[in-house]
Amino acid sequence: MIYSDIALDAVVVAILTDLFLLRTQMITRGIFWLTYALIFPFQLITNWWLTSRKIVQYSTSEIIGRRLAGAPIEDLLFGFSMILMTLALWEFFKQRKVRRS
Amino acid sequence: MTHFSYLVVILFVALCAVSVNFGFRLRIGSRWLELLQTELIILAIYLSWDTWAIAKKSWFFDHHQIVDIDVLPKVPIEEFLFFLVVPIMIILSYQALLKLTGWGGSEQGNDL
Repeated sequence: MIYSDIALDAVVVAILTDLFLLRTQMITRGIFWLTYALIFPFQLITNWWLTSRKIVQYSTSEIIGRRLAGAPIEDLLFGFSMILMTLALWEFFKQRKVRRS
Repeated sequence: MTHFSYLVVILFVALCAVSVNFGFRLRIGSRWLELLQTELIILAIYLSWDTWAIAKKSWFFDHHQIVDIDVLPKVPIEEFLFFLVVPIMIILSYQALLKLTGWGGSEQGNDL
């Protein structure tokens, strides 16, 4: 299980959580993709900062080797999973509070 | 100074978060419970992953460019702060866009 595997798994888990566990359906909403589009360039900037200065480095055996803005392509999967997971949880807890009040 | 190379990124994101929160009058603090619930789960998931990946040396940090305080075995405090600050920024971006587009339906940003 290298970074590539886990990053892909993280995306699948986030999507399943969003659709079936929390039933927040974030990936079906335009607002989610708009938010993702806004955050994406900022992720590239921070990735570039952290990798070009070698603040963080990756083992070559843990990644497939393709890079974007200095960082392994796997980072995009990680980023997507965290954005989706965060917003699904946020919507879930927000809606739960509305239902209870 | 180089010890703060990673930390300045987090401070930049934190500064953006504060600006967006007040600039768009999102009053995220009034939703502190939902924020805390989301944060705890995200921190649990991603710090576990991070701790495991650092242990198997998937990625490693330049100790001259971090403040070099570990919160978990070999996990720099910057990683913890990253997973704390970035989800807040994700949520604030989302809330700001909900307010700007009006796509939130009955939920208007004002009564957050």
